[in-house]
Amino acid sequence: MRFRWFLASLICSAAPLPALAATGNVIFNGTIAATCTLTVDTNGTMTVSPDLQSLSSNNAGGAPGTVTLSTTGGVTLSVDPVTSTTVPVGDVTATTWTPTYASSGAHAIAETGSSSSLTAPGSSTVTVNLAGTKGGSDRFTAGSYQATVTVRCE
Amino acid sequence: MTLQQRFLAAGLAVSISGTAAFAQSMSPMRGEVASFTDAFAVRVFPANPYEHRIKVEIRVYDQDFRPVQARVAPSDFMLGGQASRPVLVVVPFDGAATRKVRICTESVPFPGEQTQIKAQICGKFLGQHKS
Repeated sequence: MRFRWFLASLICSAAPLPALAATGNVIFNGTIAATCTLTVDTNGTMTVSPDLQSLSSNNAGGAPGTVTLSTTGGVTLSVDPVTSTTVPVGDVTATTWTPTYASSGAHAIAETGSSSSLTAPGSSTVTVNLAGTKGGSDRFTAGSYQATVTVRCE
Repeated sequence: MTLQQRFLAAGLAVSISGTAAFAQSMSPMRGEVASFTDAFAVRVFPANPYEHRIKVEIRVYDQDFRPVQARVAPSDFMLGGQASRPVLVVVPFDGAATRKVRICTESVPFPGEQTQIKAQICGKFLGQHKS
């Protein structure tokens, strides 16, 4: 009898135990910091108005500059007041320069000169216009004009 | 429009040839730095995501876009296509406990090209003076 109990215990101890499944999680972390890329695709062309008091990319025959913007969001788009201009020597009167921009694509912005918050990620085409105006009896004169508009993403 | 006005309009038209695109990005664009010295340092990485090289300038401004006398190394350089490089910016506290600055990456047109649009990427950074 004692031998049978011994034999039974041996059989029990030899029986295969169910394998214990082990699981583990592999965690991946990633952080994307706010970023912004600007590409100047084309520069603008300004033409003069019939009354010679407006030199603008919005006039007939003019064309805006275009910039491609790509961002993760959480940035601000703006244009700076124009500080760098080249005018013909014959132009001695004051000109008021007004830069504006509009955006289409991931960020729809109507034409404005103010800053815009871009909360959503994506890519957009920004069109940049520049208008120079003269008041009173002042007129634009013949020659080459050039002005630089700074487009800022921050 | 008279003939004279048309001639003048044609003369005034500013025609720009867009033969090269100027682009850049910069990271990081936000940051806070604690410093036990009289200045704090930020390392930024301007990048040129395109195939051609561009000229880049790094400038430091305060919150009102007034230039800040910071040490930037290097401040002006050529950046090859698809390239990025570190730039070290050291900003003095000038006696303040905290200082907010903008560090901006600006594209510079090549001579002879009539670029009218200048792209500028600015990051906002806060330095805190610990004592």
